[in-house]
Formats: sequence, C-alpha cells, structure tokens
Amino acid sequence: MGLIAALVFIPLAVAVLLMLFRTDRARDAIVVVSAAAIGVVSVATAVAYLGKPTSFAFTPELSLAGNYVAVAVDLFLCGFVFVQAIRCRNRTMLVLSAVQLAVSIWCGSFALHPEDASAAPMYIDTLSVIMVLIVGLVGSAICIYALGYMKDFQHHEDEAAQKRGEQAQDRRHQFIALMFLFLSAMFIIVTADNLDWLVAGWEITTVCSYLMIGFTRTADAKRSATLQINLNMVGGLAFHVALVMLHIAGVPLAINSLADIAAGPQASLLIMPLLMLSIAGLTKAAQMPFHKWLLGAMVAPTPTSALLHSSTMVKAGVFLLVKLAPLYMVYPAASIMVVTVGGVTFVLCSFLAISQSNAKRVLAYSTIANLGLISACAGVGTAEAVWAAVFLIIFHTVSKSILFLCVGTVEHRIGSRNIEDMDGLFARLPHLTRFMMLGILGMFVAPFGMLISKWATLVSFAETGNVIFLILLAFGSAATFFFWAKWLGKLAGVPQRAENVEGAVHKSEWFAIGFIAVLLLGCCLGLPVISTQVVSPYLEYVFQSSPQFIGVDNMVIMVVIVAFIAIVLLTPWGRATKKRRVEVYLGGTCTDPDSRRFHGAMGRTMTSTKRNWYMEDVFPEGLLTNIGLVVTTAILLMAFAATFIFDADFLSASSFYMERTVLLVGPELPGLLLGVVVFAVCAPVLGCLLDGLDRKVSAHMQGRVGPKLLQPYYDVRKLLGKEDASVNAVDEAYVTCALIFCMLAGGMFVSGSNLLMCIFLVTLATLFIIISAYSARSPFADTGADRECLQVMSYEPMLLIMSVGFFTATQSFDVAQLWNLDMPIIVSLMPIFCGLLFILTIKLRKSPFDLSYSHHAHQELVKGITTEMSGRTLAKVEIMHWCESVLFLMWVGMFFVWNNPASIVLAVAVVAVTWFFEVFIDNNFARMKWQSCLKYAWVVALVVGVVNLFYVLITPFI
Amino acid sequence: MPLYDIERFGIINTGNPKHADIFLVTGAVNHQNMNVVKHIYDQMLEPKVVVACGICACTGGVFRDAYNVIGGVDKAIPVDVYAPGCAVRPETIIDAVLKAVEILDEKAAKLAQEKK
Repeated sequence: MGLIAALVFIPLAVAVLLMLFRTDRARDAIVVVSAAAIGVVSVATAVAYLGKPTSFAFTPELSLAGNYVAVAVDLFLCGFVFVQAIRCRNRTMLVLSAVQLAVSIWCGSFALHPEDASAAPMYIDTLSVIMVLIVGLVGSAICIYALGYMKDFQHHEDEAAQKRGEQAQDRRHQFIALMFLFLSAMFIIVTADNLDWLVAGWEITTVCSYLMIGFTRTADAKRSATLQINLNMVGGLAFHVALVMLHIAGVPLAINSLADIAAGPQASLLIMPLLMLSIAGLTKAAQMPFHKWLLGAMVAPTPTSALLHSSTMVKAGVFLLVKLAPLYMVYPAASIMVVTVGGVTFVLCSFLAISQSNAKRVLAYSTIANLGLISACAGVGTAEAVWAAVFLIIFHTVSKSILFLCVGTVEHRIGSRNIEDMDGLFARLPHLTRFMMLGILGMFVAPFGMLISKWATLVSFAETGNVIFLILLAFGSAATFFFWAKWLGKLAGVPQRAENVEGAVHKSEWFAIGFIAVLLLGCCLGLPVISTQVVSPYLEYVFQSSPQFIGVDNMVIMVVIVAFIAIVLLTPWGRATKKRRVEVYLGGTCTDPDSRRFHGAMGRTMTSTKRNWYMEDVFPEGLLTNIGLVVTTAILLMAFAATFIFDADFLSASSFYMERTVLLVGPELPGLLLGVVVFAVCAPVLGCLLDGLDRKVSAHMQGRVGPKLLQPYYDVRKLLGKEDASVNAVDEAYVTCALIFCMLAGGMFVSGSNLLMCIFLVTLATLFIIISAYSARSPFADTGADRECLQVMSYEPMLLIMSVGFFTATQSFDVAQLWNLDMPIIVSLMPIFCGLLFILTIKLRKSPFDLSYSHHAHQELVKGITTEMSGRTLAKVEIMHWCESVLFLMWVGMFFVWNNPASIVLAVAVVAVTWFFEVFIDNNFARMKWQSCLKYAWVVALVVGVVNLFYVLITPFI
Repeated sequence: MPLYDIERFGIINTGNPKHADIFLVTGAVNHQNMNVVKHIYDQMLEPKVVVACGICACTGGVFRDAYNVIGGVDKAIPVDVYAPGCAVRPETIIDAVLKAVEILDEKAAKLAQEKK
C-alpha cells in the first residue's frame, strides 16, 4: 500500500514544489530527481504486485474520508469548468458544465453516505501494473523531455514577444506542474477499484488536458481546448450518470464486483450503466464521433501530445474498456456498440491519415485508429481479444511516444512539422531520424509488437464471427502500411551532402528519446517473456483461460528479426563506404544530385521536385469524417434504442461467440531452420527456371524465338560481376535485409509454419526494397517506391482475408495443418481463391498491374523502383523476385493440398496452369492506371471477403 | 510479327544506364549534348561497351563540317564498335551488338582478373 501511496502522492508533492520554485536550475533538479523516483517506485510496484492481484482494505473511516475527498475534487473541478465556461462565454460549455455540476452533486450525495464507503477501494492487478509501468516509465521520461523542449519553446516565445515589443511571460512552471498532477491522477485511475475515486482521477485528467491544450493562449489553442472539454464532458457526464444509476440500484461501486453481478440474477441492472461507462471510455479514447478533440489537441506543445494524447490519458479510456472486458461477453448491446465504433474508427482514421501532410495530424489520426482497434478488442471481451488489447496498449505507447518526441524535437530544429519539409533529414538530423524510423517500424511492421497484436485481433474476430470487423481490419491495416511507408521513405532519403544541425538538441530530449527507444526494443525483444510471464497469467486470473496462438519458436524468430533490424538501422553495420558514388538518374543532365537540379530546356537549370502522395481525392478528409460521424452516432443511438426495445433477459444473455482454439501444429525451431535452408537453395533455382520459361513463352506468344532458358541465371551472374558503385552507402544493406526476410518467409511456409508470419515477412521484405528505393532520393525511384506502396495497399486486404479464410477452414494458421485435412480448402474457400488469383497479377508484377517495376515493358519511370539500383544490389532484387514468385505460386497451390500425397501432383498442376494464365494475361493486357489497380483490388477483396467469410463464419451459428 | 529480335541472344533494351552494359549511341556529338553523353556513360557500371550506330555517330557523317558539330561519339566517350550506315541497317546493329558482347566478355574477364 505504501508503494501505491507513494505513486499517488509523490507527483502531487512535486507539482506543488514546481509551482513554488520557478527557476530553471531548481526546476531541472526537481524534475529529474522526481522522475527518477517515480520510475523507481513504478518498477518496485511492478515487482511487488506482478501476478499477485491485491485488494487494499481501508478502515471504514479512511474509506469514507476518501469518498469525501473524491467528491470534493469532483465538485471543485466541475465548478472550475463552469467558471471557465462563463469566462469564455461558450454556450455549449456552459450548458454541459451546468448539467455536469448538477449530476455530480447528485452523485456525490450518494457517495457521502457511510454505508457507501467500500471496504477495499483500491486494487492492483497485472493490468494496473502494466499501466503503472507505462505511466511511471514513459510518463516520467516525457517529463524530463519537457525540460529541454520547453526551454526552446520559451526561447521562441521570447523572440516573438520581442518582435511585438513586449515581455514574454514564463508560465513553464504551470505546464510542468500540470504534467506531474496528471501523472498522479493517472495513478489514481489505474489503482482505484471504487468508481467514485476513479471518476475523480478521470475528471482531473480532463481538466489537465484542457489547461495544457490552451497553454499557448492563441485563438487556435482556446478553440481546441473548448472542443476538448466539451467532448470530454459528454464522457464525464455519461460516467456520472452510470454512477448515479449504480448508486440508485444499490450496486456496490467496485469494478471487481461488476463481473459477479453480471453472472448473477441481477444482471439486468448493469445494462444501461455499462453502456454509459463504455461511452465514457470511448470519449476519453477519442473515438468517432468524439474524435475531433484529439486532432485539435495537436496545437498543444509536444510534451502534451506525447504524454496525454498518445501514451497515457487516452489509454485511461481504453484501460476502462479493457477492465470491463469480461462484462462485454455478457451484454451483447454494449459489446456490439463498442466493437463497431472501434472498428469503424480504426478503418476511417487509417484512411484519413493518408491525406495528411502535417506530421502531428498523421500521428493523431494513427493514435485514434489504434485506440479504435484496442477498444474493439476490449469490446469483444474474449481472452484472446484482451491479450491483443493489452499488447496493443504496450506497443502503441512506446512507439507513439517516441514518434511524438522526435517530431517535437525535429520541429524545433527545422521549424516545421510538415512531412514535406523533412526531406534529407537523414543527414541533417541523423540520430533523430533513425529513432523516428525505429518508431515508425514499431508502429506497423512485423515482427514488432503492433503486428502481433493485429494477429491476435484477427483470431478474436474470427471467433466471434464478426465478418464486418474482419473486413474493416484488413482494409485499415492496408491503409496503415501506406501512410507509414511513405513517411518512412521520406525519412530514409540520403542526401550526399547536408549540414548536420543536431548539435542543438538538449540532453534531456536525447535522454527521453533514447530511454523510450530502449523500452521499445526491450518490449519487442522481450515479447515471449511478456506474453508468458505477464499477460497470460493475467488472463488466466480474469478469464480462467490463457490463449496460446503463437508458438514460442515463432516469437523467438521475431525477436531475432527485431534485433537484426535494430542493428541495421542504428549501427554503421552494412554501410558500404568503399563504393564509387554515382549520381541519380536525371536523363544525363544532372548538375547537382542533392537538390536534383538538372539542365533543362532552353539551357535553364531546373529543379525536380516530388512531394509525397496524399490521395486527397481518393480519401477526402471531409467526406470520410462525415461518414464516420454519421455511422458511429447511428450505432450509439441504436445501442440505446436496443436497451428499450429488447427485454432485459435478452440483453444480459451472452454475446455471440464460438470457441475456436488455434491449433499449433507448426514445426519447432530446427524444422523452421531446415525449411529456410531448403527454400534458400531450391527457390532461386526454381524461380530462375520459371523466369526463363516466362521469357521463352512470352516470346513465342509474340511470334519471336526468345532467349535461352537459363538467361536469367546468366543475367544475375553478369550483375554480380559488375563494378561496385551506388548512389549511397545504405541501399544494398536494405536490399540484403529484404532478401533475408523473403528467404525466412519462404522457409516458414515450406516448413509448414505460420502462414500469417509468412505474409507479414513478405510484406516486411517489400518494405525494405521500398526504403532502399526511397533512400536514393531520385525522382524516378521515389515515384516507383510510391507506386509499390500503393500496390501493397491494394493487395494487403486480400492477403489478410486469405489468411482468415485459411484459419477458418483449417482451424490453424500453420501450413502443416493442411496434411491433416480430409478435403482441400478450395472446397470452402473458392471465392477467396479467385480473389487470390486476381491479386497474384499484382504480386508477380505482371501487366496490367506492373506499376512500380516491370521486367518486360519499359516504365514511363525509367525502371521504377529499381532505377537507382545496380550491380550486386540489383542481383539481389532479382533473386528476391524469383523467390517471391515461387512462394506466391505455392500459396496458390496450398488450396489444393490435403492428406493425400497425390494432392501434391494436383497442386503442381494447378500452379502450372495458373502460371501460364498469368503469362498470358501479361502479354495481352496493357498497364492500368493506379486508380484502377487500387479500386479493382479493393472491390474484389471486399466482395470475396464478405461472401466467403460470411459463409464460413456465420453459417455455424445458423 | 517482329522481324528483328535481339532478345533471342538474351539482350533486352533498358532506358536506365545503371542497368545497362551496352550503350548504343546514334547521331553526332555537339556542344549541347557532349556532356549529356559523357554523363550517361559515367553512370554505367564497368564493364561497359559503346556501340556507335550510324555514320553520324561514327565520324559525324554528312554533318561533319557543320559549325556546331564536334564529330562522332568517340569525341566524347571511348567507342568499342563502329556500325556505319545511313540509316544503319537492323542487321548491322545486331551484328555490332554481338561484337560488342564479345568485347564485353573480354573486359569482364579482365575485370575479374584485376579484382583477384
């Protein structure tokens, strides 16, 4: 108990101290010492209570005193907001705060009764421990970061004020004091079992956020702060209404007891309160239709964005939803509401992030999308879903906070937060850029944690037969790939000469960023440990079941890959400095490759510029936001209507759920390694022959004779003998990584291991080729890489749908399960197979979808993505293409394999026919526009996905 | 139905100097395009060969004495095979390219020797 008290009271004390001691030196010292202290206490708490859920009993007098304090704080804050509303003369705020004040008084009147004092108002379990660690470690690091950041901020304020001839106010002490007050409130939220106490902490965070958003006192800031407080008051109001209902019904206000009541005869009492609590959680987590406040909050100084609006405060919202997760299994109305709102938000905000060029807005939309995913997982309420939600919380926090911190520092250094201005950052701010790249990789790519969580989400939704959400997940994931990959590419561009302006970054900023980067890598590398030692025991305790859907060996491979990527990114390993430097291709007229200047027409020197692809007409911000607002509001209203239409017994019966345990039949590590070796030896040979045959057959279709069968082999041999020359030092390293990941993916498939991992690794390999192309900063390679990102976005939904289909047909993600089947999966997955054939054309780079790179035809972009690659690098790309082709054709074949050994013959025959079919299409269709590629691929994926998954997932229920 | 197919020898056309081994140049060299030709040649990776196609690329042809023409391509970059003609016949080009491939093989062998 002492540790918890320390967690709550140390930040409070520090906040008071910071308001008193306002000099820079005093503030630095206080903040560093207390941040370290909070970190240490958090770790101590974790060590003490991990795996040991503990309730803390209070004496009745102490508990009642706590109630008094909670009510007083609550009323004070409501009054404060009311006064602010009067000062701002904002009608909505006035009305909302008046209503909230009234409801708080009513609610408080209940809490003051002696019999309402709970016996054990504080409780800590593993989920709370994880949150304590997040708040204590990441939160304190951000407080240290704020020291350096706010120095620059004040500097800018002073300059601006000098220009106006005024003296700038130094209100930094208020800012940092608010940060510590906020930390204290978060600790209260995650350790309180008594809902009255929790809501006091909840309201403190709302008001802290309001004050911090409005900190700069510009018109924009005031407007954003008002929006934030209005929307969060809706949530706060819902929370208080829920509490009033629970008080009136005589239900004890302990979260832990809610699960027991749901199981008992009084279950119908919780229907409406659960809806209200869900809405409170959803508003705090900035879900649609309440998402606009988070976008507006980006005007606040970066430490606010990092601390409140990505790592901690919004996590309080999803924390509440995850805590309520067992209840969602019982109450279908609330469950469907939370799942659908979360899912729709995820998909729409992923789309919206594509069209943003303001870095903080991209991060904001991405945060909202991920919170939607977490909410949806919590809403499902099964053990697997909560596993996914907890992992998403952990990994999203560390990745997103690094990104916000880096963007804030970069903004101060280059004076802009627009992605377009981040050109050449790789040389101007080398270390910061690498940390940002690490953060971005952590956000969306295997094997970092975020992707594991998406995997778990897939499984959970397959279990509940939630076809719509599976489709939303597939498309949203595709969209996330696109916007992260193009930002990553912008950062990866290596200019040959650039001024390094990193010197002015403060030590405190470096420390915070470095510390969180270590946390990120630690979480990724420690993934197996976290899963088995931390999360599974928690799930055992809450759900009496512990999901196991990824073999430990797979996790080990993931850990190795993460380490590998970290080494490539953060160390000089792989950098080839002995190569001859060649200039980028600008038609032979290049005068300055760094600024892409070339000798243009009429003897003028012209500059080639290229901005990122924002697709504002395909994903228009206004339209998508409106769709989201309408759909989610409709869902909320329908959920409410349902409570009045259906009778109470139906609403407290259990949700729709079909147990689908994941069978783990894949090989152990030795088998995996054997598979990789076999693939690495055989696939290039097979692929080379296939490529040669392709050229021969194409030639004959065109009335020619064509080259020798082994021509691709001669070509690669020639490439290996070429001179060592390159545009920059890093492109070959990236391509080598891509080749290795591709071999791993193929090896996993051949050894019978996890299909999803295989798909993710192939995507990772493609990503590294994309980064390699972007690193050249060449107009042609950049456009080729853009188009490659588009192609990945086009076929990604279909691949995810294919893997879900595979899971539903075989009850496993492991390819080896095919040997145990009585019938080939084509029998139940015909539409998905057709969809796969459609996107196969994209994956094999065949016309009409050879947008980014084509073997036969000329590119209007010279050679597209491989324009700046040559020699050994190009040879590796060729070999990777061979291996990929073999792998994709094996995916086609796997639909025709079952426990009969003769099925291999059938599969090979089908593959041969498919291959010939692809070559035929290649020679007969002209290249399509990229709009058509995206549109057709997505429409096909949507149609076959809905039809097939509906058939497979829903029919068992009927 | 195509009449002349160089791909049966395993050679394909690419517009990217970094991917190319053989550089086919047509036309004479003047002050404007001298640097362009040099630039593209520099971007190619060793071993590389140059084929001058057409008499203008070989010697400047009928424009040799013009005020702006410097001469054949060998005034800008080293040429390995000269394929004359006006216009150069397709058979000549194919012949020249095959000759260039022989020279390329010799250069590749020499480069491999030097690497050791």
